[in-house]
Amino acid sequence: MNEVNIPVQSLKTLIISMISAVILAFCILIVFIGPAEYGIDPTGLGKKLGLTVLAKPFSESVKKVMSCPSGEQAADWQDIVQITIPAKSDLEYKFYLQKDAYIRYAWNSDGDAVYFDFHGEPAGDKTGYFKSYRETTANASEGDLMAPFTGTHGWYWKNDTNKAIHVILKTKGQYKIKGLI
Amino acid sequence: MLNNCTTKYLISLKFSTSLSVAALTLLCISAAVAHGVDANTQQFLQANHGTAIGPFLYIGAKHMLTGYDHLLFLLGVIFFLFRTRDILIYVSLFTLGHSLTLFFGVLENISVNAYLVDAIIGLSVVYKGFDNLGGFQRLFARQPNTKVAVLIFGLFHGMGLATKLQDFDLPEHDLWKNLLAFNLGVEIGQFVALLFMLILLNLWRRFDSYFSFAVVTNTLLMAAGLVLFGYQMTGYVLNV
Repeated sequence: MNEVNIPVQSLKTLIISMISAVILAFCILIVFIGPAEYGIDPTGLGKKLGLTVLAKPFSESVKKVMSCPSGEQAADWQDIVQITIPAKSDLEYKFYLQKDAYIRYAWNSDGDAVYFDFHGEPAGDKTGYFKSYRETTANASEGDLMAPFTGTHGWYWKNDTNKAIHVILKTKGQYKIKGLI
Repeated sequence: MLNNCTTKYLISLKFSTSLSVAALTLLCISAAVAHGVDANTQQFLQANHGTAIGPFLYIGAKHMLTGYDHLLFLLGVIFFLFRTRDILIYVSLFTLGHSLTLFFGVLENISVNAYLVDAIIGLSVVYKGFDNLGGFQRLFARQPNTKVAVLIFGLFHGMGLATKLQDFDLPEHDLWKNLLAFNLGVEIGQFVALLFMLILLNLWRRFDSYFSFAVVTNTLLMAAGLVLFGYQMTGYVLNV
């Protein structure tokens, strides 16, 4: 038996409180949380309250990458991508390299410095081990890497600023692009 | 003691509103850190390679104190518990539940969808609010065992914690030590949160309004739980 005596409310009270809870929750979700978190704003009130600004536009928060069609098709690079790191967000871009395979890279952001960790994870490793090659905050970085083991190698970027940062990453070498993770 | 009737009423009114306001504010501010761990902590966790008792302890405590879902559930659980003994029993059951799944989940690498777990945790808050209104007795003539319920929901809360920790590819080396520290931190955070809640509740319990506002408070609890549920399910639908 329960030692705790919970007062049992009348059916009327119970139904009223259930209905109010549902209505209250629904209103909070529709008016505040939907617009602020997901940019879903069916009432338009979120926009009036300025909440929709908080939501990363959904297409952007899906961390999209566009191939960069700019004039930088320098012949010495195999791949050039533009990566958008949404405001107050982070992402990883990875390549798959065999042991001793080679990758040469250069990237720069369109302004602000970003925190990054250039690292590799051995293939098939489930322990969460990774090896950092370079970890700092900068707006550009270049170099080359001879993969110390077979697995994924690439960057973790983190944008602390309030606006999206575009990174242009140029690479060449013996790799397979895994892309955004 | 206050004897004046009006003051009594005003004070109790203040308590009840501040409590509901606090619950709603918590909801709003922490919506930003919905999945629990903020960016700096994330950086630390990803860069950390060895044993780090202090930081994990702190992260655990912080997670509990800023995790509105756990706080709301705890509030619901202790709302009608008046004896210290009962509070100890229920909180221990909750602790047992979430410790079990936290350890088992992380060590065995069992990952669940964070949105779904958090949605269930939201439902646990709704459940407790409904239970506190006597909803089960009224509608089903029978209340499910409250202790078992707390234990089961504890298991879900732990699964939520485990899922959040697993996002960070924690190094295997000395993992259990860090986990132990994290869990200890969770308990410390829970203890501090309970302390504050009990101080407030015990003050409020001196007044009759505690019972007259019980319906309002538990309705708000259900509403908050439903908000959490809706919030997480929307995330689930959009991201899957």
